[in-house]
Amino acid sequence: MAVITISRHFGSGGELIARLVAEKLGYLLVNKSVIAGNMRACGILEPELAHFDEKKIKFQDGEWDREMKERRRHYLAQLHNFFYDMAIRENLVILGRGGQFLFHDFPPALHVKIIAALQSRIGRVCRLYSLDESAAVRLITEQDRDRETYLRQIFGGDWLNAELYHMVINTGMTGPEEAAALIVTAARLRESAGEIPVQELEERLLEQFASPVCDSQGGGILYDAGGNVPLFAHPSETEFARMLDFYQIKWLYEPKTFPLEWDSEGTVTEAFSPDFYLPEQDLYLELTTQRQKLVWKKNKKIRRLKEIYPDLQIKVIYGRDFKGLLEKYGIKERGD
Amino acid sequence: MKYGEEHHLKVLFTREQIQARVAQLGEAITGDYRGAGELILVAVLRGSVYFAVDLSRRLEIPFVLDFMGISSYGGVSASHGIVRITKDLDSNIAHKNVLLLEDIVDTGLTLNYLRRNLQTRNPASLRICTFLDMPARRIVNIPVDYCGFTLPDLYVVGYGLDHHERYRNLEVVAALK
Repeated sequence: MAVITISRHFGSGGELIARLVAEKLGYLLVNKSVIAGNMRACGILEPELAHFDEKKIKFQDGEWDREMKERRRHYLAQLHNFFYDMAIRENLVILGRGGQFLFHDFPPALHVKIIAALQSRIGRVCRLYSLDESAAVRLITEQDRDRETYLRQIFGGDWLNAELYHMVINTGMTGPEEAAALIVTAARLRESAGEIPVQELEERLLEQFASPVCDSQGGGILYDAGGNVPLFAHPSETEFARMLDFYQIKWLYEPKTFPLEWDSEGTVTEAFSPDFYLPEQDLYLELTTQRQKLVWKKNKKIRRLKEIYPDLQIKVIYGRDFKGLLEKYGIKERGD
Repeated sequence: MKYGEEHHLKVLFTREQIQARVAQLGEAITGDYRGAGELILVAVLRGSVYFAVDLSRRLEIPFVLDFMGISSYGGVSASHGIVRITKDLDSNIAHKNVLLLEDIVDTGLTLNYLRRNLQTRNPASLRICTFLDMPARRIVNIPVDYCGFTLPDLYVVGYGLDHHERYRNLEVVAALK
């Protein structure tokens, strides 16, 4: 049930390191070919798989867009179920695909980031793919952008955030064998640090996968009008976004921060980010489910916002309004 | 126990007040659409049925009464992620004047969907007539062309509006306490 996740910059040698780690520890390597084999069993075949695997999706309007969202939702559900099923049974080395987010709160997981300077990656990519330098740069840029955007769309996170990882290894300074040895040593140290009962681990894993980062209510992934998956701060916001989706109203989550106060040097000292923006209505919405006595501070901010930005349209949905809305649709309040 | 006594109902509009206001609306609509050709009245199921029946009786112009139903949001447990038409129009509204009849406009979410849906069918015109308007609850701004009564944020029943399918058939509009 141990999991090592390896996130890698394209051309940094992450795949080779993952294979070496898996061999040394006797763990199962979950890479592209293993995933493809499993997806095939779920009816997701090439070229569809190539379209979704660690790829950003640019959503447009219309029926095709809805179908594409549904297909990707299906793909992600199958992929994440596969990770969960495998993690229950085996020790894994997971290459890419957001492992650092999916197993973020799973105690035995070891999260590793493999990086390297662009110049050293160019050399490696030229050799591996028989490309000239400019083609290698294009490929590296494209692949990294795809991976970065994929993780942002699915998990709302930044793959360069070092806080996601136990270790960051620079393969411009470290050879693959040495990098693998570092990871293996770290994994063994974690193994010997203390056993957590299997039942507890299973519960933690279930908890983690039942409430993926992007959708804490288990209702499928929510995409904003830009095709991104926002990280909602509160379950009521998730519910509200779902409601807007239901009635086919386009929305963006916290797309803009408005400065409210500045110090004498012009540095922003207070700002406000309304929860939702409805582009078709040119309307900002602030959803507040705080108790009434705590709302005054937010009301004060919104008054200030209206003073500074008089043309801005903003509406506040208070806790009682939201409760009324849920009652109207026969929904019990969650998460408060 | 008498019908309605299990909840405290406070009458906001009596039968006479409602009928008088509906007659005024009928007169205004008749005036606006006289000579404009056939009017399609689209009543949104189920709440607006009582209003549609009374209002249509007050019209002195030719019209076709049609009905449309859509599914309501049911939260994460709902089987479909997007709104569905549960009863579509029987009429072709292309190049016709359409008047959408609602029992109440509150958040505007339902009406916004219906309006956009009907617009795609190329009506000559599309206006909205609601028996009750509750602007305090509005999330999506929707232009309301005809309105019976404007109300503050209250839970109301009667004249088509229900509470778990109860009180639709009251001849008055009452606040549920």
